[in-house]
Amino acid sequence: MWTRMNDIDRMFSAMDLLRSINSDRSYGESSGWRVAGGFPKTNMYDNGDSFQMIAEVPGVNKEDLNIRIQGNYLEISGTRKSDAPEGYKTHRVERNLSTFTRSFTLAADVDADKIDAVLKDGLLTLVLPKAESAKPKQITIN
Amino acid sequence: MNKNMEITKRTENMVEKQQDLATIAPVVDIYENDEEILLHADMPGVTKDKISVNVDNGKLEISGVRNLQRKGVETWQEFYDVEYKRVFSVPQTIDVAKVNAELKDGTLKLHLPKAEAAMPRTIEIRSA
Repeated sequence: MWTRMNDIDRMFSAMDLLRSINSDRSYGESSGWRVAGGFPKTNMYDNGDSFQMIAEVPGVNKEDLNIRIQGNYLEISGTRKSDAPEGYKTHRVERNLSTFTRSFTLAADVDADKIDAVLKDGLLTLVLPKAESAKPKQITIN
Repeated sequence: MNKNMEITKRTENMVEKQQDLATIAPVVDIYENDEEILLHADMPGVTKDKISVNVDNGKLEISGVRNLQRKGVETWQEFYDVEYKRVFSVPQTIDVAKVNAELKDGTLKLHLPKAEAAMPRTIEIRSA
Protein backbone atom coordinates (compact mmCIF):
# COMPACT_ATOMS: atom_id res chain seq x y z
CA MET A 1 0.00 0.00 0.00
CA TRP A 2 1.33 3.46 -0.91
CA THR A 3 1.67 6.14 1.71
CA ARG A 4 1.13 9.67 0.52
CA MET A 5 3.98 12.16 1.18
CA ASN A 6 1.45 14.34 3.01
CA ASP A 7 1.07 11.67 5.69
CA ILE A 8 4.83 11.39 6.15
CA ASP A 9 5.19 15.18 6.35
CA ARG A 10 2.43 15.28 8.94
CA MET A 11 4.15 12.61 11.01
CA PHE A 12 7.47 14.50 10.98
CA SER A 13 5.70 17.78 11.89
CA ALA A 14 4.15 16.08 14.90
CA MET A 15 7.56 14.74 15.94
CA ASP A 16 9.11 18.21 15.64
CA LEU A 17 6.31 19.70 17.71
CA LEU A 18 6.75 17.09 20.46
CA ARG A 19 10.49 17.63 20.46
CA SER A 20 10.11 21.39 20.82
CA ILE A 21 7.68 20.95 23.72
CA ASN A 22 9.70 18.33 25.60
CA SER A 23 13.14 19.82 25.32
CA ASP A 24 14.52 23.23 26.01
CA ARG A 25 16.66 23.09 22.92
CA SER A 26 15.78 21.01 19.90
CA TYR A 27 18.10 19.70 17.26
CA GLY A 28 17.32 21.38 13.98
CA GLU A 29 17.82 20.44 10.37
CA SER A 30 20.71 22.86 10.10
CA SER A 31 23.97 21.94 11.79
CA GLY A 32 24.22 22.69 15.50
CA TRP A 33 21.62 23.35 18.16
CA ARG A 34 18.97 25.98 17.79
CA VAL A 35 16.80 27.58 20.40
CA ALA A 36 13.18 26.64 19.95
CA GLY A 37 10.73 29.53 20.09
CA GLY A 38 12.91 32.49 19.17
CA PHE A 39 15.85 34.32 20.65
CA PRO A 40 16.18 35.67 23.22
CA LYS A 41 13.94 33.67 25.55
CA THR A 42 12.11 35.97 27.94
CA ASN A 43 10.20 35.80 31.20
CA MET A 44 7.74 38.47 32.36
CA TYR A 45 6.49 39.13 35.90
CA ASP A 46 3.83 41.59 37.07
CA ASN A 47 4.63 43.22 40.39
CA GLY A 48 1.50 45.40 40.65
CA ASP A 49 3.34 48.71 40.31
CA SER A 50 5.80 47.47 37.70
CA PHE A 51 6.67 44.72 35.25
CA GLN A 52 9.92 42.80 35.42
CA MET A 53 11.26 41.26 32.23
CA ILE A 54 14.25 38.92 32.11
CA ALA A 55 15.82 37.93 28.79
CA GLU A 56 18.56 35.37 28.12
CA VAL A 57 21.29 37.09 26.11
CA PRO A 58 24.51 35.11 26.70
CA GLY A 59 27.58 36.50 24.99
CA VAL A 60 25.88 39.79 24.05
CA ASN A 61 27.62 43.03 25.06
CA LYS A 62 25.80 46.04 26.51
CA GLU A 63 26.80 48.07 23.45
CA ASP A 64 25.14 45.56 21.13
CA LEU A 65 21.71 45.72 22.80
CA ASN A 66 18.91 48.20 22.09
CA ILE A 67 15.75 48.67 24.09
CA ARG A 68 12.86 50.83 22.81
CA ILE A 69 9.65 51.64 24.58
CA GLN A 70 6.60 53.55 23.42
CA GLY A 71 3.51 53.45 25.61
CA ASN A 72 3.01 49.72 26.17
CA TYR A 73 5.08 48.61 23.16
CA LEU A 74 8.51 47.22 24.08
CA GLU A 75 11.17 46.18 21.60
CA ILE A 76 14.47 44.45 22.39
CA SER A 77 17.00 44.09 19.61
CA GLY A 78 20.68 43.32 19.37
CA THR A 79 23.49 41.43 17.77
CA ARG A 80 25.46 38.52 19.02
CA LYS A 81 28.95 38.82 17.59
CA SER A 82 31.50 36.09 17.07
CA ASP A 83 33.97 35.45 19.88
CA ALA A 84 35.93 32.90 17.82
CA PRO A 85 39.63 33.45 18.49
CA GLU A 86 41.92 34.10 15.56
CA GLY A 87 44.36 31.43 14.49
CA TYR A 88 42.37 28.55 15.97
CA LYS A 89 40.83 25.61 14.13
CA THR A 90 37.08 25.31 14.69
CA HIS A 91 35.89 21.89 15.82
CA ARG A 92 32.29 22.61 16.79
CA VAL A 93 29.91 25.57 16.58
CA GLU A 94 26.58 25.33 18.41
CA ARG A 95 26.31 28.93 19.64
CA ASN A 96 24.68 30.60 16.68
CA LEU A 97 25.40 34.22 15.85
CA SER A 98 22.37 36.30 15.17
CA THR A 99 20.79 39.69 14.88
CA PHE A 100 17.56 39.54 16.77
CA THR A 101 14.46 41.61 17.49
CA ARG A 102 11.63 40.73 19.81
CA SER A 103 8.67 42.99 20.49
CA PHE A 104 6.03 42.82 23.21
CA THR A 105 2.73 44.54 23.86
CA LEU A 106 2.58 44.97 27.64
CA ALA A 107 -0.65 44.79 29.61
CA ALA A 108 -0.30 48.47 30.62
CA ASP A 109 1.57 51.63 29.65
CA VAL A 110 4.92 52.12 31.40
CA ASP A 111 6.75 55.22 32.58
CA ALA A 112 9.60 55.35 30.05
CA ASP A 113 11.72 57.74 32.17
CA LYS A 114 11.91 55.34 35.12
CA ILE A 115 12.87 52.12 33.35
CA ASP A 116 15.87 50.32 34.83
CA ALA A 117 17.91 47.93 32.67
CA VAL A 118 20.72 45.72 34.00
CA LEU A 119 22.85 43.24 32.05
CA LYS A 120 24.49 40.64 34.30
CA ASP A 121 25.72 37.07 33.76
CA GLY A 122 24.09 36.93 30.32
CA LEU A 123 20.66 37.99 31.58
CA LEU A 124 19.05 41.32 30.72
CA THR A 125 16.70 42.42 33.51
CA LEU A 126 14.28 45.26 32.85
CA VAL A 127 12.15 46.86 35.54
CA LEU A 128 9.32 48.72 33.84
CA PRO A 129 7.31 50.91 36.26
CA LYS A 130 3.70 51.24 35.19
CA ALA A 131 2.39 54.68 34.27
CA GLU A 132 0.47 56.34 37.13
CA SER A 133 -2.82 55.90 35.29
CA ALA A 134 -2.20 52.16 34.95
CA LYS A 135 -1.26 51.44 38.58
CA PRO A 136 -3.73 49.52 40.76
CA LYS A 137 -5.66 51.81 43.10
CA GLN A 138 -7.34 51.09 46.42
CA ILE A 139 -10.92 52.37 46.41
CA THR A 140 -12.29 53.49 49.75
CA ILE A 141 -15.92 52.58 50.33
CA ASN A 142 -17.86 55.43 51.89
CA MET B 1 5.06 -1.11 55.33
CA ASN B 2 1.29 -1.19 54.72
CA LYS B 3 -0.21 -0.27 51.38
CA ASN B 4 -1.28 3.26 52.41
CA MET B 5 2.21 4.07 53.70
CA GLU B 6 3.72 2.72 50.51
CA ILE B 7 1.48 4.92 48.34
CA THR B 8 2.29 7.97 50.52
CA LYS B 9 6.02 7.26 50.17
CA ARG B 10 5.71 6.91 46.40
CA THR B 11 3.81 10.21 46.17
CA GLU B 12 6.47 11.95 48.28
CA ASN B 13 9.16 10.61 45.96
CA MET B 14 7.24 11.92 42.94
CA VAL B 15 6.90 15.36 44.52
CA GLU B 16 10.63 15.37 45.31
CA LYS B 17 11.40 14.48 41.71
CA GLN B 18 9.21 17.31 40.42
CA GLN B 19 11.10 19.77 42.61
CA ASP B 20 14.41 18.67 41.08
CA LEU B 21 15.83 21.03 38.50
CA ALA B 22 15.63 20.03 34.87
CA THR B 23 19.05 19.30 33.42
CA ILE B 24 19.91 20.70 30.02
CA ALA B 25 23.08 20.61 27.96
CA PRO B 26 24.66 24.04 27.39
CA VAL B 27 25.50 24.86 23.77
CA VAL B 28 29.24 25.00 23.11
CA ASP B 29 31.82 26.12 20.56
CA ILE B 30 35.18 24.29 20.51
CA TYR B 31 38.41 25.65 19.01
CA GLU B 32 41.98 24.39 18.95
CA ASN B 33 45.46 25.63 18.15
CA ASP B 34 48.93 24.18 18.74
CA GLU B 35 48.98 25.22 22.40
CA GLU B 36 45.45 24.67 23.70
CA ILE B 37 41.83 23.69 23.21
CA LEU B 38 39.25 26.40 23.89
CA LEU B 39 35.67 25.67 24.87
CA HIS B 40 32.97 28.36 25.06
CA ALA B 41 29.71 27.32 26.75
CA ASP B 42 26.56 29.44 27.15
CA MET B 43 25.22 29.30 30.71
CA PRO B 44 23.13 32.48 31.10
CA GLY B 45 22.11 33.37 34.65
CA VAL B 46 24.66 31.09 36.31
CA THR B 47 26.96 32.87 38.77
CA LYS B 48 30.64 31.99 39.25
CA ASP B 49 30.03 30.26 42.59
CA LYS B 50 27.44 27.93 41.04
CA ILE B 51 29.69 26.58 38.29
CA SER B 52 31.89 23.54 38.54
CA VAL B 53 34.47 22.24 36.08
CA ASN B 54 36.02 18.82 36.58
CA VAL B 55 38.66 17.11 34.48
CA ASP B 56 39.30 13.52 35.41
CA ASN B 57 40.41 10.39 33.59
CA GLY B 58 39.88 11.81 30.11
CA LYS B 59 36.46 13.31 30.94
CA LEU B 60 35.67 16.99 31.22
CA GLU B 61 32.42 17.77 33.03
CA ILE B 62 30.98 21.26 33.22
CA SER B 63 27.93 22.00 35.31
CA GLY B 64 26.14 24.98 36.80
CA VAL B 65 22.87 25.82 38.52
CA ARG B 66 20.69 28.81 37.72
CA ASN B 67 18.34 30.31 40.30
CA LEU B 68 16.38 33.22 38.88
CA GLN B 69 15.53 36.29 40.98
CA ARG B 70 11.84 36.81 40.31
CA LYS B 71 9.65 39.67 41.43
CA GLY B 72 5.88 39.44 41.14
CA VAL B 73 3.43 37.13 39.45
CA GLU B 74 4.65 35.46 36.30
CA THR B 75 2.85 36.59 33.17
CA TRP B 76 4.76 34.34 30.81
CA GLN B 77 7.78 32.14 31.15
CA GLU B 78 10.03 30.78 28.42
CA PHE B 79 12.97 29.70 30.58
CA TYR B 80 13.28 28.26 34.07
CA ASP B 81 15.67 27.44 36.90
CA VAL B 82 17.84 24.73 35.44
CA GLU B 83 20.97 22.71 35.96
CA TYR B 84 23.36 22.89 33.02
CA LYS B 85 25.48 19.79 32.62
CA ARG B 86 27.60 18.33 29.84
CA VAL B 87 30.43 15.82 29.67
CA PHE B 88 33.15 15.74 27.01
CA SER B 89 35.96 13.34 26.26
CA VAL B 90 39.25 15.18 26.33
CA PRO B 91 42.57 13.96 24.99
CA GLN B 92 44.98 12.60 27.62
CA THR B 93 47.46 15.14 26.30
CA ILE B 94 45.71 17.99 28.17
CA ASP B 95 47.72 19.43 31.05
CA VAL B 96 45.03 19.16 33.72
CA ALA B 97 46.93 21.27 36.25
CA LYS B 98 46.92 24.27 33.92
CA VAL B 99 43.22 24.25 32.93
CA ASN B 100 41.66 27.62 33.63
CA ALA B 101 38.21 29.10 33.27
CA GLU B 102 36.59 32.52 33.05
CA LEU B 103 32.94 33.51 33.09
CA LYS B 104 31.85 36.56 31.10
CA ASP B 105 28.39 37.69 30.02
CA GLY B 106 26.88 34.26 30.74
CA THR B 107 29.50 32.42 28.70
CA LEU B 108 31.99 30.05 30.34
CA LYS B 109 35.37 30.14 28.55
CA LEU B 110 37.62 27.19 29.27
CA HIS B 111 41.28 27.06 28.32
CA LEU B 112 42.65 23.51 28.14
CA PRO B 113 46.41 23.78 27.56
CA LYS B 114 48.16 20.87 25.87
CA ALA B 115 50.98 19.09 27.67
CA GLU B 116 54.49 19.98 26.48
CA ALA B 117 54.96 16.51 25.00
CA ALA B 118 51.87 16.94 22.80
CA MET B 119 52.92 20.26 21.26
CA PRO B 120 54.19 20.23 17.71
CA ARG B 121 57.98 20.37 17.35
CA THR B 122 60.20 21.33 14.52
CA ILE B 123 62.88 18.74 13.93
CA GLU B 124 66.18 20.08 12.82
CA ILE B 125 67.84 18.08 10.08
CA ARG B 126 71.52 17.52 10.65
CA SER B 127 73.89 17.30 7.77
CA ALA B 128 75.53 13.95 7.45
